[in-house]
Amino acid sequence: MTESPCIEIEGLTRTFSHRIFLARRPITGTIALDHVNLIVEYGEVHGLLGPNGAGKTTLCKILATILLPTAGTVTVCGSDVVTDPRAVRRRIGIVLGGDRGLYGRLTARQNLRHWGALYGLHGTALRSRIDELTERFGLTTRQHDRVETFSRGMKQRVHLARGLIADPELLLLDEPTDGLDPVAATEFRALVGQLRAEGRTILLTTHNMAEAEQVCDRVSFIDNGTILDADPATLSALVSRYERIDALGVTEPTRARVSTIAGVERVEDLPDGYVRFHATDRPAATAVLRALVDAEVTRIRNSEPSLEEIYLHLMGGQRGMRVD
Amino acid sequence: MRLLLTGAAYQLRLLRRSPGDLIALATTPLLTVVFLAVVEHNGRPDLAVNAVLAPALIALWGMSLLIAGDMIDAERATGTFEVLVATPARLWPLFTGRVLVVTVVSLLGLVESWLVATVVFGVPLRVAHPGLFAVTLLATVLAMSGHAGVMTSLFVLSRSARIFQNSLSFPFYVLGGVLVPVALLPAFLRPVSTVVFLSWSADLLRDSLRPAAPDSPVLRVGMVLGLGAAGAALSWWLLSVVLRRARRTGSIALGG
Ligand SMILES: Nc1ncnc2c1ncn2[C@@H]1O[C@H](COP(=O)(O)OP(=O)(O)OP(=O)(O)O)[C@@H](O)[C@H]1O
Ligand SMILES: [Mg+2]
Repeated sequence: MTESPCIEIEGLTRTFSHRIFLARRPITGTIALDHVNLIVEYGEVHGLLGPNGAGKTTLCKILATILLPTAGTVTVCGSDVVTDPRAVRRRIGIVLGGDRGLYGRLTARQNLRHWGALYGLHGTALRSRIDELTERFGLTTRQHDRVETFSRGMKQRVHLARGLIADPELLLLDEPTDGLDPVAATEFRALVGQLRAEGRTILLTTHNMAEAEQVCDRVSFIDNGTILDADPATLSALVSRYERIDALGVTEPTRARVSTIAGVERVEDLPDGYVRFHATDRPAATAVLRALVDAEVTRIRNSEPSLEEIYLHLMGGQRGMRVD
Repeated sequence: MRLLLTGAAYQLRLLRRSPGDLIALATTPLLTVVFLAVVEHNGRPDLAVNAVLAPALIALWGMSLLIAGDMIDAERATGTFEVLVATPARLWPLFTGRVLVVTVVSLLGLVESWLVATVVFGVPLRVAHPGLFAVTLLATVLAMSGHAGVMTSLFVLSRSARIFQNSLSFPFYVLGGVLVPVALLPAFLRPVSTVVFLSWSADLLRDSLRPAAPDSPVLRVGMVLGLGAAGAALSWWLLSVVLRRARRTGSIALGG
């Protein structure tokens, strides 16, 4: 196998246009993806974070060959999604979020058998694969029940089993924990952890920061059809760019003096009594630390910003997760 | 081939879960009663064959088109269509396998009609040429399954086609010579009905129930199969058009 990445997206644009009855040309409407570049290496669990309507599902569908790109090139497991969709389909599994996507009137086992057959599996190979997956996902006792009688969490496990039926190299998970209760979501994340340990490549979309932080090796932010900082170097630079230093027992004069240090962006009072100094770069953070130590402040802690903060920071100025 | 079986197996499971889909078979005996009553009342026992076969062919045509026309919509409703498109499987054999099962099941209409004729009306029916009868039935089932797929795609391409779904069948009952042999239709309709496989099937089935030796049976069965193959090719092509269009416009999840 060559060292080319599992997913290679270059200049991907996707627009949705709609046609008015009898009109000659379609009207160009939404730009769902706008010149997106993204690389996901084999064995990586890659998170795609973004608010509603960011273009996450559209991206997943293009990777899954369900949608065609409007422009740009997309290569999945070495095959082009436009010129060789069949080769792509053989090597990926897809789990679209939500309640749908299974045959409710069939049992879990019948569903898996049907989907397995669509991947060309049959006979003993298919049977033992289904046994293995039902066992692994705790579906054995209920495999002969109709899927429409399952809870959301159970359905999600059937979904995942279906996505894995053909032993795909790449698994696309579109908001897999959407609608799951916290226990089921945690279980699900543990499963993702196992899949990663098997060396599978996973692209997971979510708007849950904690989830992305917990299960992903790398994260890309997507909003308005644009990917922000897919490059891990840039991202880690971002992380260290926003360093915070929390200190307890800071006197007013010290506080005033520290906040005038160049590179201190903001000072904030935390609920637990600490004062938080936001520094824009490492030298500034170091200067803050030195000033605090000089002022004989001893209760100091240094914490890295969570993904959520970076996310809000990146999105904040534009639109992002604003709650109206 | 294997996908054809996969489709068939799926459809069988669905039918077992919801026998309500077979509701069309409920009207078959009623139609037989109506047709036979007319035939008896007018003292034309020679037309009993027409009266028995017509409801059976109507069941065959109606049920096959119903399932075929509904297939993609149903997949969309369950949210499985997208996932289906993302599998390496070719969808045409899968869908055709499903229609095939329904078409075979629709032959129960023939059994019903036959029972009404013999049990209720006491009409003596005899298959004069059993070989031809069986071969024609087989060819008809195949041709029907090949054609039905046209509806699958047509209803996706044009929402308004669905409005005509029910009325769409009646011209074909006429052109297909289901009750009235094509030879009795106005002359200008005859060329049209020669390309409707059902007209060949209906004539052949009637002939095989009558003692007289049928005219060039091999050629006529060949016509049923040939037209069936043409229908299958058309449905295959239409489906690929639909799938390509859906991937381009993003209409796979949403409506057409
Ligand atoms: N089939 C379609 N036809 C028209 N517009 C579409 C279609 N699919 C998506 N869009 C538009 O493209 C944009 C991106 O949608 P997409 O579903 O990819 O977002 P998302 O990031 O998955 O959002 P969410 O978090 O709500 O699932 C949206 O503005 C949406 O309205
Ligand atoms: Mg989405």
